[in-house]
Amino acid sequence: MFSLFEKYRQVFLIGLQSNIVYRWNFAVRGFFSLFHLAVVFILWGAAFEGTADIGGFDLRQTLTYFVTLLVLQFFVSAFNEDYQISEEIRNGLINQFLLKPINYFAYRFSIFVAARLVSGALVFVPLLVALPVIGEYLTFPVEGWRLAVGIPALFLSALIQFCIAYIFGMLTFWFLEIQGFVILSMAIESVLGGQIFPLDLMSPDVFAASMLLPYPYQMYFPGAIFTGRFGYEESLWCLGIQACWVGILYTIGHGLWIRGLRRHTAVGG
Amino acid sequence: MLHYLRIWFASARYSIIRTMMFRGDFIVWSLVELFWMTVNLLLISVIYRHTDSIAGWNQYEMMLLVGTSMLIQRFLMGFFWSSIFEMGRNVRSGHFDFFLAQPGNVMFMATTRKLDPDGLINAGVAAAVVIYAANQLGLHPGPGDLLLYGLMVLSGLVIHYSILVLSISLVFWLTSAHGVEGTYFTLTEFSRLPREAFKGIVTQVLFVWLLPVVVVSNAPARVLLDRFDQDWRWTFGPFLFAVAWFALAVFVFHRGLRRYASASS
Repeated sequence: MFSLFEKYRQVFLIGLQSNIVYRWNFAVRGFFSLFHLAVVFILWGAAFEGTADIGGFDLRQTLTYFVTLLVLQFFVSAFNEDYQISEEIRNGLINQFLLKPINYFAYRFSIFVAARLVSGALVFVPLLVALPVIGEYLTFPVEGWRLAVGIPALFLSALIQFCIAYIFGMLTFWFLEIQGFVILSMAIESVLGGQIFPLDLMSPDVFAASMLLPYPYQMYFPGAIFTGRFGYEESLWCLGIQACWVGILYTIGHGLWIRGLRRHTAVGG
Repeated sequence: MLHYLRIWFASARYSIIRTMMFRGDFIVWSLVELFWMTVNLLLISVIYRHTDSIAGWNQYEMMLLVGTSMLIQRFLMGFFWSSIFEMGRNVRSGHFDFFLAQPGNVMFMATTRKLDPDGLINAGVAAAVVIYAANQLGLHPGPGDLLLYGLMVLSGLVIHYSILVLSISLVFWLTSAHGVEGTYFTLTEFSRLPREAFKGIVTQVLFVWLLPVVVVSNAPARVLLDRFDQDWRWTFGPFLFAVAWFALAVFVFHRGLRRYASASS
């Protein structure tokens, strides 16, 4: 059991080192996401000019939601894991894992966790720079249960993000080029993941229906817990749905891996 | 001029034949662009469920503005995106040599080689959004207004093209321009906002005048909306910006070209 853990700990440490090499890339990306934040502040600032609240939340609460989502994005989002997996399959690099006592999902997930720790830590650099400007707009609820429920929700969000990226990567067994599918899915994920607007601003029926899909649990759900958009019982109920989606997506990913390997041809000596 | 037109037609013909060879790819990418445009319209419809105005613009005025912004961006994607995007990779890999040996201006050859019909098809969708919004607003622009609108969209395209060429030209100095295209998309987000939403002096100077991403879409939209106020800055601004940014792009590209050392054996 310990050796099993040790194996993936080493993968995690190597992932950490290789991602620290790209620290400037993540930092620059974080810096440019401040421009996106500027668009959000200008747009929603203008939308709130004629009204005190939108969907029951004031300007500060709405902007806090978007800042929170930005931070979560760097902590739990899959950046290019689907491409990395796709490349490994296409170039035959997965062959080495077929001969070793290593689980490919666990291997990739260990690297994903390392990458998100680095990118998540680095997003605070531009945010600290912007804090004098955005600080006055931030307002967080103080209930303790939000941390107790929000942190597991965050971990499950990371798992959902990774499972979706893993599934797209697995499609390489059937399709040579997955970029189109990934970007198409990104559009759906950005809307139903709550990155474009808080999902609770949609009509109640559409909102309720969207909460049955996996996308809101990628980012909107933990963001809504931390920024006070969800109550206690609602959060517990959604945490259950989120856990179910993790199970479903993992099963799909594993199934695709098994079926994909049957189609795979390992070439070379 | 005729020589370049002939070259461009030959490239366009090749691109269309190539697209028809990969029809599945063409359909997927057309859907990708259509989805992203729908996302922008969805944002507007959701915000206007809860408020009547954004910086004094009603829902259909905003739709017209966003439609205009999308129209310019689709033209950029259709005519130039693939070529400029690949330019960054070609400089790094040394494949840029190919363009140096071609019978024409290097910047023209490198930035106009590929046409993306999916972007151009979605330009039709963006135009339909503008027409729908204008219809909902009961606008009846005259031929002069339509001509001015068309010219401003064209100057907006030149500005977007120039900013993109400038950004990717950094590859001559940095060797890798990976991620620069993301920066460009972030900047274009500003073009979907009405000018009146920019309150502070810093944001006005930076995004309205220094980086004219706001002017690019607001100026043509104002022509149709009759929000022009006969202000000379809005009348001539887009054209002056187009000339200035294009000149800067040509200058930086050719300065960068001097640094190009190839990578082939």
